[in-house]
Amino acid sequence: MPYVRSRFDIRLVRPNHVYCRGSRFSSITGIRPGAVQRESAVKTSADGADAVQMQAIIQHFKNKKRRDGIRLQKHTIKRAAAGMISVMMTFSVLAACSGTPQAGQTGADGTSTGEKKSPVTLKVEIFDRGSAPAGQSATNNYWTKWMQDNFGTPNNIKIEYVPVPRSQEVQKLNVLMASGGDAPDIVFTYDSNLVYKYVQQGGLADLGPVLDEHGPNLKAFLGEETLAYGKFDGVQYAIPARRVSLGKYASFIRQDWLDALNLPVPQTTEEVYNTLKAFKEKDPGNVGKDLIPLGFALAPASYEPIIWPFIKSDLNEEETYTLRMQLGSRDYPILTPGHKEAIQFLNKLYNEGLISPDFALDKDKKKMNQDVMNGKVGLFSEDSVNPLLSNPGVARVLQTNVPGAKLKPVDPFAGADGKHWKPQYIPAGMYIMVPKSSKRVVEAVKYLDFMAQKDNYFTIFNGDEGKNHKMENGIPVLLDNQETKDKMFIGGDFMIISNGQDLGDPQKNDLLSVVYLAPEFIEDGKLARKISMTDTVPMVRFPKPIQAEVKYGSSLLDKYHELLVKSVLAKPEDFDKTYEQMLSDFMNSGGREIAEERKAAYQAMKK
Amino acid sequence: MNTTAATDSDRRMEAARHQRAITFLRRHWQLYVLLVLPIAYFLVFKYGPMYGVTIAFKDYNMFEGINASPWSGFDTFKEIFGMREFYVAFRNTLMLNFLDLAFSFPAPIILAMMLNELRHAWYKKLSQTILYLPHFISWVIVGGIVYQVFATKTGIVNTVLMNVGMEPIPWLSDKMYWVVTYIATGVWHSAGWGTIIYLAAMTGINKELYEAAEVDGAGRWTKIRYVTLPGIQSTIVVLLILKLGELVQIGFERPYVLGNVSVSEFSEVLSTFVYKMGLQSAQYSLATGVGFFQAVVGLIFILSANYIAKKTTDQGII
Amino acid sequence: MNAKAANRIADAIVIAVIFIALLLCLAPFLHIFSISLSSNRAIMSGDVTIFPVEINFEAYKKVLQDITMLRSMGFTVLLTISFTLICMTMSIIAAYPLTKSYLWGKKFFMLLIVITMFFSGGIIPEYILIKELHLMNTMWALILPAMISPFNLIILINFFQSIPSSLHESAEIDGASHFRVLWQIVIPLSMPVIATLSLFYAVSRWNGFMDTLFYITDPNLYPLQLKLYQLVMNNMVNDLIQLEGTQLVQFLPESLKAASVMFATVPILLVYPWLQRYFVSGIMLGAVKG
Repeated sequence: MPYVRSRFDIRLVRPNHVYCRGSRFSSITGIRPGAVQRESAVKTSADGADAVQMQAIIQHFKNKKRRDGIRLQKHTIKRAAAGMISVMMTFSVLAACSGTPQAGQTGADGTSTGEKKSPVTLKVEIFDRGSAPAGQSATNNYWTKWMQDNFGTPNNIKIEYVPVPRSQEVQKLNVLMASGGDAPDIVFTYDSNLVYKYVQQGGLADLGPVLDEHGPNLKAFLGEETLAYGKFDGVQYAIPARRVSLGKYASFIRQDWLDALNLPVPQTTEEVYNTLKAFKEKDPGNVGKDLIPLGFALAPASYEPIIWPFIKSDLNEEETYTLRMQLGSRDYPILTPGHKEAIQFLNKLYNEGLISPDFALDKDKKKMNQDVMNGKVGLFSEDSVNPLLSNPGVARVLQTNVPGAKLKPVDPFAGADGKHWKPQYIPAGMYIMVPKSSKRVVEAVKYLDFMAQKDNYFTIFNGDEGKNHKMENGIPVLLDNQETKDKMFIGGDFMIISNGQDLGDPQKNDLLSVVYLAPEFIEDGKLARKISMTDTVPMVRFPKPIQAEVKYGSSLLDKYHELLVKSVLAKPEDFDKTYEQMLSDFMNSGGREIAEERKAAYQAMKK
Repeated sequence: MNTTAATDSDRRMEAARHQRAITFLRRHWQLYVLLVLPIAYFLVFKYGPMYGVTIAFKDYNMFEGINASPWSGFDTFKEIFGMREFYVAFRNTLMLNFLDLAFSFPAPIILAMMLNELRHAWYKKLSQTILYLPHFISWVIVGGIVYQVFATKTGIVNTVLMNVGMEPIPWLSDKMYWVVTYIATGVWHSAGWGTIIYLAAMTGINKELYEAAEVDGAGRWTKIRYVTLPGIQSTIVVLLILKLGELVQIGFERPYVLGNVSVSEFSEVLSTFVYKMGLQSAQYSLATGVGFFQAVVGLIFILSANYIAKKTTDQGII
Repeated sequence: MNAKAANRIADAIVIAVIFIALLLCLAPFLHIFSISLSSNRAIMSGDVTIFPVEINFEAYKKVLQDITMLRSMGFTVLLTISFTLICMTMSIIAAYPLTKSYLWGKKFFMLLIVITMFFSGGIIPEYILIKELHLMNTMWALILPAMISPFNLIILINFFQSIPSSLHESAEIDGASHFRVLWQIVIPLSMPVIATLSLFYAVSRWNGFMDTLFYITDPNLYPLQLKLYQLVMNNMVNDLIQLEGTQLVQFLPESLKAASVMFATVPILLVYPWLQRYFVSGIMLGAVKG
């Protein structure tokens, strides 16, 4: 039987032709496979039945083809026409949109003297964490309206908020600043190097005079010390937010383990070592082979409290300035005497199995916290009250997993001088800036000043008394009702001039920071905060950033971590060699430039 | 006399060429109509912003704008090529991509062929859907899982190894093993997704070819070699050329998330280099410079690969 | 018989290998799924591997009750479908002419396109372009810039080229126009690759969010992945210390993050099985056998 592969074979062939597809077809008709031949020229060698069948097939497809052809022709034309029309319409709509003459400036008129008639527009950046409840957004919520009603309208200003996702703040900010006059009038960032970059490229407005004239409340609130962080070469290019709580770290120990072994809380690093050894040998918690005496991660919270007490503390000013380096946002005492000994101590701990074995892989303290929660860890350091917070709830989960476990905040690491040196935050938080191209510098400063006024400040943070907060012991405590949650989801981000709430009184501030902890943790919280502010080492600051640090800071931070890891992991007899090698590698990768530039900057500063 | 004859024939050739052109356009004008919109798209959205590459040759000031920023010639490139880290990053990029090519490229092909061999349709369908699940998990999440599973002393894998008496393997802290982990997770992440295109290609293979081969007495293996593979050969060639063009590009998330300081000698690649040195503090010139370098090298690679493919297999992309 | 046994062994090996691959691919997914159903304590302590511990549906309740999530899902679906249709259409009409080797300027066009695979202006010029075209905060900003992927285009061209040219030629001799050939022959025969590339486009749009970060500021237009990214990345612990005492910090439990991931991923996963019906050979239509 002759067979046809598909109707396409016949349909597309020229009229009255036959397309030979297969070998059987070919053997019957004598046509080469793949050839096309006039139907009439086909001599079939098949018997009659085959020939008839073949004819029928050919005829069928010829008719079909003709029928299909005509139908499809009409159909295709209609379809094509419809398609072209819709495409043309789409593009003409787009063209029309892009052709609108007005460049979409939202009513900001050119007159800088703010005519009484039309209000001027002030664009303010705001962080968007995606946490807005339904019906609200970061740019349209209770406080944006409140601000408009209480500040904007009375001053003939229309406030427009520009949302920036928190996690992409640097990238989005850069694009906004670079896209030619589209940047908001008030922008901010946590990255001081970025601020300086803007300064160098001439992109920021000088806020000094405007601040003096229109920002008295702001100046009073921030204070000279904080404001100094926004000055570059003496010019106030940025307004730093005031950071309220400056304490960074506290350590925590398993009090129940100490009790079981009848040991006191260690007060020096030497005693810590002995305590850790005791933990390991006696295993008071019955943990077994997973016991980790010192919980440790590759995070500043883990290593800074240990390293700093080793650093020689009676240095003169020059040494303090020149032997440290600022990498990222922290000072690193790499060249200071005592640093090598600190790393060597860690090396000793590691090689004696007293420290988290996989710490080098734990960049975010996740594993360390997990080990703490599972009761495996005896002592660890963290960001002040973190473990006591309800989320992630380290202390709480620990108590659930290991009944009887008790974490106590301690300050165990100290060197020969008995001081528990540790770093603290600079009193500046976020850097608020106004682009030079902005026409609303005055309005911007007024906006910030408005927020710095005592009553406004308090209201934005706490809402209305009775409805959103109640006064307890002189401090406002937010109420736990739905209205408050819906209203106050953005308070802190809104108040860009203040990182944390300042109640004007240090004691009250301390109380405020622990009031939201679970009741059983409040006392511990207070203790942890006290520890975080004990024996703190402030960061040093030059009048303007060190160029080499801006350039190499990020990559050198990684190099530092590499130095730490490789030196700690080395065998004790190889420690010296490894440390020196990593240190020279560090210096060759930009460390030397930083050190030299710092020396020069110090000389310049002292002139 | 001679010159007239020459120009005469020239003119005739011109006319003939004209005639051919007109005939061609009359016949094939529709092709150009079809191309109008796509080419317009490329011109507007791709070539429109293309002036941005000049950032690499300028001392870019973001407030003055790209066009107004002063030219700096090859200064940025001199700076980049003077950094030791750049060469390390470049070497690592090539090395990791090359290994990826060696393992992640054949994996979907083999997997697709295996899937093709499955008799039970339901098993085949189920497998296809499950095998590409990893593609949808972002590297950030995958990284977290990898660190949990492969941690040296506490990860599941090493715990199992220790239980059977073996030494724990530093999957993530030793640079050689890290490369293995990196490549293996890459294969895991992309193999299932990669099978889709090959399976689509396999459905295009004429079924009669299989039947004919069967009739000719071919076994399963022979069928694969002489029917399946040639059938998807053009797809493989095209994808290979495209992959070779990407040899100097590398994603950011995967090396960043999987890498750590212990293995930085191998885990630092061009994308993380740019991130550390450039993007965070808005050093756009450097970032654009590296990108430009990658683009030039990548283009050379792909054109060469295309040329070689055309010469050997008569297939290519241009 | 020897061949048969060998065949059976080969079958068994294939089934086994694929089974192992299935487990490896399924495990991490199950892990995330289990996290979304487990209690916070269990997650933090690391108890959750592949099965949920202390099952609760809090996370899902939160996600499904969040209107913004649902609205975002709706918008994302609309966006993805529009995107896929437009991209596929554009890719097809671009690919067909470029399949013809006799097309004048073919090499030029191909080079034009391939160059865009490597050189691009960068985010700032692109941002400025979108701004000038007044496409900010519109769906078009997420569709137009990515209308044709050169990668997909090249694959499509390659597949089109595998259709026997005799089909084209005979149709042309018949007087069929290019449009008709494209519409009636090439497209029906290429359904598998069109389905595949549609899937590629759909997934790339569904999963992509970098452009949304820059072009969309209206929360009503946030695609799902952007919302998800914000949820997962925005609540960083560093900020907590600074914000304590200032606002009711909504620290999201891990289970909520995992539930959001599931919510955003499962819909797109279902597309491929649905598309599989197109993975049929286009040539074998109406074979007539004696």
